[in-house]
Amino acid sequence: MSQIAIHQEGQQNLRIQARKGKRKPLGPIILFIAPVMIFYAAFVLYPLIATLYYSVHTVEPVQGKLVTTFVGLENFKSLLSDDIFFLSVKNTLLWAIAGPVVEMLTATTLAFLVYFKTPLHRFYRVAWFTPMLVSGVIVGLVFRWIFNYDWGLLNSTLRAIGLDQFALNWLGRRDTPIWVVIFVHYWATFGYSFILLLAGLTAIPEELLDAAKVDGANTLQAVWRVMLPLLRPTFLTVLILSFMGKMRAFHVVWVLTSGGPMHFSETVATYVQKRAFGWRTLDLGYPSAIAVFWFGVVMIGVALLNRWLRSRMD
Amino acid sequence: MTKKLYALFALVLVAAFVLSACGAPAAPETIIQTVEVEKIVEVEVTAMPESKPEGGKTLIVWWSHWANEPAKRLVIEQVVKDYEAEHADVDIVLTWWDKNPLRDAIRSTMTAGEGAPDITTFDSDVTEWVEAGWLADLSDAIAWENLAPAAKQDGTYPDLGFPGNYKFNLSATNYMLLYNPDIFAELGIVVPEDYQFTQQEFLDVVKTCKAAGYAGVADAIGNRPYPGTYTVEYSLFTLVGPDDFNAYTLGQKSWDTPEARAALDYSVALRDAGIWPDSFSTMTIDEYHVYFHTQRKSCMLYVPTWYTGRAFKPVAEGGQDPNWHPGMLRNPEMEGCKACNMLKGGFESGYAVLSSTKHPEVAKDILAFFAQPKYGALWTAVTNSPSIILFDPSEDWPSDELLTELGQTPGMWDWYWEEYAKVYSPQDIGVSFTTRCGEFNDAFTSVINEGLPQGLITVDEAVEMLDAALCQ
Repeated sequence: MSQIAIHQEGQQNLRIQARKGKRKPLGPIILFIAPVMIFYAAFVLYPLIATLYYSVHTVEPVQGKLVTTFVGLENFKSLLSDDIFFLSVKNTLLWAIAGPVVEMLTATTLAFLVYFKTPLHRFYRVAWFTPMLVSGVIVGLVFRWIFNYDWGLLNSTLRAIGLDQFALNWLGRRDTPIWVVIFVHYWATFGYSFILLLAGLTAIPEELLDAAKVDGANTLQAVWRVMLPLLRPTFLTVLILSFMGKMRAFHVVWVLTSGGPMHFSETVATYVQKRAFGWRTLDLGYPSAIAVFWFGVVMIGVALLNRWLRSRMD
Repeated sequence: MTKKLYALFALVLVAAFVLSACGAPAAPETIIQTVEVEKIVEVEVTAMPESKPEGGKTLIVWWSHWANEPAKRLVIEQVVKDYEAEHADVDIVLTWWDKNPLRDAIRSTMTAGEGAPDITTFDSDVTEWVEAGWLADLSDAIAWENLAPAAKQDGTYPDLGFPGNYKFNLSATNYMLLYNPDIFAELGIVVPEDYQFTQQEFLDVVKTCKAAGYAGVADAIGNRPYPGTYTVEYSLFTLVGPDDFNAYTLGQKSWDTPEARAALDYSVALRDAGIWPDSFSTMTIDEYHVYFHTQRKSCMLYVPTWYTGRAFKPVAEGGQDPNWHPGMLRNPEMEGCKACNMLKGGFESGYAVLSSTKHPEVAKDILAFFAQPKYGALWTAVTNSPSIILFDPSEDWPSDELLTELGQTPGMWDWYWEEYAKVYSPQDIGVSFTTRCGEFNDAFTSVINEGLPQGLITVDEAVEMLDAALCQ
């Protein structure tokens, strides 16, 4: 009997002994998992189920009492005739498509700059990730000052260099607020994609790059033919996370424009908030229907994106 | 192995108990709450203790907004102090909030069925609280004769099937138009003897201001859904009078009428003349007060009587120089006006007793206690806002000692009240309400506060959008 066969037999025996001799300590396992499961059930599962429940109900005051009534798909039907909802969907989709593309391009470029240790690369690494550490509310407030028409940093700079005609009322027009919001959110979050991609680059084995060089590849060819293909799984993760982030974005929009003016920068998340808490009603049915519908859209979007990217990778 | 795991868990538990015992006693817990004002500021509020009798005392929990208005807090705290002094068996715990988080918290606690306070801030447009049966009827609790007559009209909802009185009002909101006398003098603008420009004269004033580099008014919509509505509201109110005005602004009447269109057209003319500041989209309510009284970049300011809450603070906190005296104007007289010389009035937030309280009689008694003339006088003297509680200044005005004790300088703001009495006292007050359904409220804000002032829509589009959202 060869040594390999003896070793395999030994391993098998050990496994059998382990199964016979040891039972899983269920008590402690439950004890340690329970807090997390209770937290998950209370703050994730229950709200999710409650939202599903309310999406097919209305909550209305009747003779001084709140009455919950089953209405089937009525709330979802109402969505079809809600112009503000469609405007918010349009804005969010625009954001979810434009945002990740811009984010991927810049984050990848910057990750390569840092990876190849361009001058000041240590500073860049810190500088580009720092916005991620700032609260969305603070980011919104700061950029509201920056985009102030009268004395904001942007318009002051434009005027100082003689470009007065480009000093716009960025947050008070039909066309610019949504792009301002997209830009500010991008500024605040692209550091996350940058760090993930940098981590992906760092994980590429040096041997592969050395082999490419031995085969006569220059740096550009090594990047194009070796590093980018190996980064694809990271791209997939980053793209999906970025897409989901845009589809759910709330803080920056809320502080910067509150969805205005006239809903021109409204997103689905801010509209749900308005319908749930700012609509002079206690009915959670309609906002829940929007949330459920959008949850479905995000799930389908992620699944399609995943499938498409995986097929491209294969 | 299992025993070791149990032992480890037990050790963690024991350590947790020991550590928690070493911590601070469970005295009032402090939480940080984010409040939106000029910018996001943090206000410390004391977490609400459970409402249960302690040592034989009845505990009343009172949630109030005005976290950022120290003068108003002073008055409420004085009332609480006086009540507790007269009622040794009652403890009142006051908690200060910003308005929106307070509303959310009431909604959460009332829906959950526990944790709600006994007394809360209440605005009469939050009809959903009334319809849900969350408010106690105050009809028999308050000495209504102590309040201005119109106070009882606010906070009653016979159309919704709730004919009781659910709101205790303590402060009036009258809609003023302030001007900067220095700028007016500089530009040669002369105020009419009756303090009221005509429609055309007012438009010319705005044009003159704009030509000299000043905004017509300072108002902006950075963090409020209403300052942009003033041009339409003031002119429409003057044109049609309070009853029709309420029908329009509550979404009960089509805006496709000559009067409504005239008000919208006039608002557009004022916009084109340069009435709004350049930072109209982003400037916040605190910032535009400073823009008017300290930076002095606008000729005028549309503002209700709660101007004093922000302006009469110390200069270092964003208040105005007490030695600078803005002038007051009446609403411009619109051509064909029905309420040519009427002041648009309303009510500030008031208080309500929640139906979930375990001590309804005590909670109502506290509000009844508040409705005394001396507190109306104290409110006016300290907050410089007109009180809804009627009082006789010669009898009820607080002593200089009390005012000094409360950090006030007696007589400091007399000039303000003298100007107010001169300009507005001869006018009748027409009461306006803000109880709108959700769709119309959103359309009103979008169209009148945002769209029209920023030139994003035409008057025809405004009328179409408002009419499409009328309340059923």
